[in-house]
Amino acid sequence: MFCKLAARNVKRSIRDYSVYFLTLTFGVCIFYTFNSLDAQPAMRYLQSTNAGMVGAILQLMDILSVFVAVVLGCLILYANTFLMRRRKRELGLYLMLGLPQSKVSLLLILETLLIGVLALVTGLALGQFLAQGLSALTLTMFDLRLDELQFVFSTRAIGKTCLYFGVIFLVVMAFTGLQISRTKLIDLIRGARKNEEMRQIPLGAAVALFLLGLALVGTAYAMLLIRGLLRVDDLFWLMLAMGTAGTLLIFRSLSGFLLRLAKSHKALYYKGLNMFVLRQFSSRVHTTYLSMTVICLLLLLAIGITACSVGMNDTIGQLTEQSAPYDFTIQNYGGDVNPMDLPGLLEKEGFSAGQSLQGTVDCFLYYNDSAVTGISEDESGAALSLSDYNALMELQGKEELVLDGGNLPRLSETPFCTGSCGFERYVVVPDDMTPSLSVRRQVWSGYYAGDKQDTENALQAAMKELNSDESGMLKLETRLDIYIETMGSKVLVLFVGLYAGMVFLVAAAAVLALQQLTQATDNIPRYRILARLGVEARMRDRSVLSQVALSFFLPLSLAVVHAVVGMKAANAVISQVGRVDSVRNSIITALLLLAVYGTYFLATYWGSRRIVRGNS
Amino acid sequence: MDPILSVLHLQKIYGGRGSRTRALSDLSFDVAPGEFVGIMGASGSGKTTLLNCVSTIDRPTAGSIIIAGEDITALRGRALSRFRRERLGFIFQDCNLLDTLTAFENIALALTILKAPAGEIEDRVQKAAGLLGLDRVLDKYPYQLSGGECQRVAAARAIITKPALILADEPTGALDSKSARMLLTQLAQLNRETGATILMVTHDAFTASWCHRILFIRDGTLHQVLRRENMDRRAFFARILGVVGQMEGDGADVL
Repeated sequence: MFCKLAARNVKRSIRDYSVYFLTLTFGVCIFYTFNSLDAQPAMRYLQSTNAGMVGAILQLMDILSVFVAVVLGCLILYANTFLMRRRKRELGLYLMLGLPQSKVSLLLILETLLIGVLALVTGLALGQFLAQGLSALTLTMFDLRLDELQFVFSTRAIGKTCLYFGVIFLVVMAFTGLQISRTKLIDLIRGARKNEEMRQIPLGAAVALFLLGLALVGTAYAMLLIRGLLRVDDLFWLMLAMGTAGTLLIFRSLSGFLLRLAKSHKALYYKGLNMFVLRQFSSRVHTTYLSMTVICLLLLLAIGITACSVGMNDTIGQLTEQSAPYDFTIQNYGGDVNPMDLPGLLEKEGFSAGQSLQGTVDCFLYYNDSAVTGISEDESGAALSLSDYNALMELQGKEELVLDGGNLPRLSETPFCTGSCGFERYVVVPDDMTPSLSVRRQVWSGYYAGDKQDTENALQAAMKELNSDESGMLKLETRLDIYIETMGSKVLVLFVGLYAGMVFLVAAAAVLALQQLTQATDNIPRYRILARLGVEARMRDRSVLSQVALSFFLPLSLAVVHAVVGMKAANAVISQVGRVDSVRNSIITALLLLAVYGTYFLATYWGSRRIVRGNS
Repeated sequence: MDPILSVLHLQKIYGGRGSRTRALSDLSFDVAPGEFVGIMGASGSGKTTLLNCVSTIDRPTAGSIIIAGEDITALRGRALSRFRRERLGFIFQDCNLLDTLTAFENIALALTILKAPAGEIEDRVQKAAGLLGLDRVLDKYPYQLSGGECQRVAAARAIITKPALILADEPTGALDSKSARMLLTQLAQLNRETGATILMVTHDAFTASWCHRILFIRDGTLHQVLRRENMDRRAFFARILGVVGQMEGDGADVL
């Protein structure tokens, strides 16, 4: 009987619960997706070659998940409090009818449980899809093509999600029970009473404040663009403070400013319900400007983190290409005194260089001597002969970089080996100058013939044997190694960014949605008056839409402007190592943002419309 | 002259099978243009049901209501909303002003939802406010106004669209006697000067004494009609009290 009442309550108020439900579901979905990383084919592949990196990624995700769980827990508690406030009268009625408080608590606990289980199941189902999507994304990042479609399914992640959210639900249920048992009946019955007092700043002051806010934000922008992102000193904090204060002032005075603007355009102000919508907005602003600022900053974090992590990712990808022009490079640090016949030595260890390798170049790297080359040792500490240089460039397939011998010696920055050689630049010298320079080391680069992974494994094994004989003077660096290494950091950056960005986004949207729904409840009598005055349902719906849209898209648009400026500054930093691919990551960010934020917007609009339509 | 409001054989039955409550049974009356008509009756007599039907908020079970030549019981949905905002003006007991708008904007709202040209709105609001003596309070918010001022703002909002019929539901219900007297004086003046037709529901004999004609309703039927003719207000007030007393006495007989 009791379960039936709880189930009926949930069914009846399912749309009241919609935002609560949405937040739970999104939370579960994101949480599961980023905890099921270990089951991804790409991660398993990475683990087989570089287990340490995978362990680090998973560990970081675990730590981040605790933080995320705390954020989501607070959010769910907040949403729950909102729901309780909305149902005060109903609960008061139960108590008045003589239902003991313990039973009312039990009823609410049952309802919370029901919603929780429902959200958990939906969220996990949704999480399966998202996990597939994320897996596909990582696979394309690794350029991996799997023969068969692998389904990502992590029982570990499911168990973890259930455990974490179970704890959150328990806390929420305990909180609910406690709240009910401590409230007084009179407060519940009078739940509908509102003590909102009207405080408005004069229009002139609003305009002045608005302009001041604009000036502050503008100054912060200028400082950011001129000084760059990474100079963290006193001025940096001043810049942050000015940006925040400016944002706050803009939201505090925006409604007044808009009102002033609209009032001077009578055709606009006196059109339909415009006057009502604007007044509505400005009457609320003293309670909402603070949260609007917080939401704007949360959105900024979400946009910025997501965009930068996706952009960083592309940059790292480009770096791999640059730092690994050949399949392998072996550097012999003892080359100055002991140049070796590397192919011959490998042959002895069971690796046939003739069969397994193709297109190799064996050359010497020299010490740069300014007395000989005329280029200072501070500029570069290494030199290559012209013919070696040209052979290396040809091997890379970069015909356009082959030099004809004029203008030498000269500096070059084009990478000449896979992995790190220790120099950003080196001197290219004419061949006849090399006898007067001393050898620094021997460098042998080339490509694999046949299956790359097999050849790699064989070469690695042979080199291990060889190095134990040659007391570690040889260093092998391969493209696959470097690739896995950068991929690891690439994946790490992307996952952390997406995870944090999405949680911030859900938090911002949920808080906004709940506030709007509270306002819709307060607006019931106002819309009832409008209905009595003969305002059509369609016109009323449009007015609700404008109100919800204003509160959703004002913070968003300012956050987007902030983000664009911020990313411009970030680009300047990142471009030192590469470049943010701004078009692609903007689109991905926008789509993600749109999906989550848009869902909340629609749910809020429908919810508000239903509340306002209610009984008019 | 054709009546501006004709109520013909109006019936309203609440509830479905099993529990039927007859709120109105076969009620008929006419209101001529420019009349100030009062409707009186004890609570439960059906006067609020009648007003709800006339104001198109509720739909009668049978019978018809004709306002300015249009049968409103045949209207549906958007046509109903349209009729309500174009042909009717409302004054409610709890004045029903929007608390987020100033007095001026509350009055103007009635025009903007009619899509009146923006250019003429300010003039029309000033004029209506002038008629009700509101010039000084136009920039104030409802919470800064007294109860009487609120009701006069509501009255200004009701007349500004030049409706065929103004419906007032206990307009003095929440006012002290001084404010009530002032509001009624102004309503009567409005009726006299602009020829506005007013239908007012009240249970208060003092308030009713400003009307030209009073319809007494009991148990959903028209019980008695009282006309003021050339009586002065005091005498009319005494007559009303007489009828009210008689009706209550009848009720006592039943016991």
